[in-house]
Amino acid sequence: MTLKECYTAIEGDYNDVMSRLMTEKLVSKFVVKFLNDESYNQLVDFMKSENIEEAFRAAHTLKGVSQNLSFTKLYEPTHDVTEALRANDLAKAKEIMPKVDEAYLQTITAIKSLD
Amino acid sequence: MNGQNKPRILIVDDSLLNIEILESILEDDYDIVTAGNGAEAIAVLQKESVNISLVLLDINMPIMDGYEVLEIMNEKHWIDDVPVIMISAENSVSSMHRAYELGITDFISRPFDMLIVSHRVKNTIMLYTKQKKLISMVADQIYEKEKNSNLMINVLSHIVEFRNGESGMHVLHVQLFTQILLKQLVKITDKYNITESDISLISRASALHDIGKISIPDEILNKPGRFTDEEFAIMKRHSMEGAKMLDNLVAYKDEPLVKVAYQICRWHHERYDGRGYPDGLKGDEIPISAQIVALADVYDALTSERVYKKAFSHEKAIDMILNNECGVFNPLLMECLKQSAELIRKELDKQTVSMGEHNEMENISIEMLQYDELSSSEETLRLLEYERMKNNFYISVSGGIFFEYTSSPSIVTVNPECCDLFGISEITNDPFHNEQVMSLIHPEDLQKLSEKLHNLPKDEQAVEYNCKVKFRDGEHNAVIICHPVYNSKSEYSGAFGKIVDKGI
Repeated sequence: MTLKECYTAIEGDYNDVMSRLMTEKLVSKFVVKFLNDESYNQLVDFMKSENIEEAFRAAHTLKGVSQNLSFTKLYEPTHDVTEALRANDLAKAKEIMPKVDEAYLQTITAIKSLD
Repeated sequence: MNGQNKPRILIVDDSLLNIEILESILEDDYDIVTAGNGAEAIAVLQKESVNISLVLLDINMPIMDGYEVLEIMNEKHWIDDVPVIMISAENSVSSMHRAYELGITDFISRPFDMLIVSHRVKNTIMLYTKQKKLISMVADQIYEKEKNSNLMINVLSHIVEFRNGESGMHVLHVQLFTQILLKQLVKITDKYNITESDISLISRASALHDIGKISIPDEILNKPGRFTDEEFAIMKRHSMEGAKMLDNLVAYKDEPLVKVAYQICRWHHERYDGRGYPDGLKGDEIPISAQIVALADVYDALTSERVYKKAFSHEKAIDMILNNECGVFNPLLMECLKQSAELIRKELDKQTVSMGEHNEMENISIEMLQYDELSSSEETLRLLEYERMKNNFYISVSGGIFFEYTSSPSIVTVNPECCDLFGISEITNDPFHNEQVMSLIHPEDLQKLSEKLHNLPKDEQAVEYNCKVKFRDGEHNAVIICHPVYNSKSEYSGAFGKIVDKGI
């Protein structure tokens, strides 16, 4: 799978990321590194233990990273979870989490099948 | 400053991926240091803020967030010299306002564009570099100017003394004592409205107090025995003659230095009781500059050897002055003399010409402190860096165990050689919650030591505390010697010191 195809599969914005980070080589490098990013796992763990403060921080980081890499589909629900947690609304955050889970899975599956 | 001579950038972000993206943008042109949270960033700045050209700072981070980092950077005045660009997805206007209020130079929103980041970084560093260069140029010029004018004054007054057959130390002594007495006077009263720059001006001008002697004939000036009444009358003219010479400097007579020198020349032989010369002024009719120089002059005359007398000891001289055996002085100045007698004695013991230079440096730094924009100029930073190097060198050659603790932010630093001895790292953030650090000393000992430091009487410098300290190879007896540190509000803010190992 090429980088462009990968972005299609992720439902991300290929043109946007290329305009900001310039080269395919660089974008690919960071996209692959996303697999090692801990923020999603941290978010899941802290949601489980209902540690709102730490969950917020993890969500915030995941939001920032997905935004930087133009993972639009992952970015949107992560943004909503971040805002729910900022407002101390754990119930609402829990409600949105499945969307984050789904988008995250879709994202890493596509990245793993990059050339 | 650093090996490759590339500007060094500190990137602070809790997401490794974000750091890596920024690194890949910047690593070709800059030397990169990274920190995973605010506390780590503070530790880096604590160690080498002088070497950091720019900080890229995230807001939301664990342990210590970006705002707290900015607050500490303000408190420590690092922000005056180290520009900060904030990079965050917090794009609300209020969070941007808060960051700007805390002194950031620029704000970059996520998702960021590679070219924009690299341009803003480049521009910010360039602006700061230019500004620092300008500041250092101005500082160098002030320094040059000060040095030259002082040099000229000293050369001139030495010529007078040379004719007088004196060593040339008299001028330096009077200058030094004038400065010490003035500093003490400012501490005990604000009656005379003396500023730091007045102190520097008066002590500089004090060197000129006897220039009028240039007009006194040799045979009187250098007469070994007692003066006849007629000779004494001629000798006494030197104060008025000096004042006239200054008054005749048409082009310069309105310069503050010349005005003060005029007062000193004319009235440094007046007496507080009105029985002095040439004008018989009384009490505070005599300008405070002249009163102080008169006292400094008498003290130095007493403690120096002259053609007609031997030198008195410091103690004897002070006693004679306090008993009004050598004139009558302002009671406030007598108080100053009593309080600074010890300091004067110490300075007199040094008896070196270089002392003049040293004080000169101090004057200049005080002068520079008055210009806000110069307060942490490159020159000051260079001096600090020099002190740091010197300190590190002493520590490395003396082979002891040294530590430094600051309470806000709570950080403990030890010298690299002793990391091994204790199995702790060079810098520990939040040491009270660090198991390894806390296991070094029994909690009750730590508590007692802390109490001693907090309650140390003002006139004592250091605390010595005997206790057990846990080394890697077991508990040792040790003496902890430490010196408390106070912040600008005189509140306890940490300590530094040494651990002396007394063996198992």
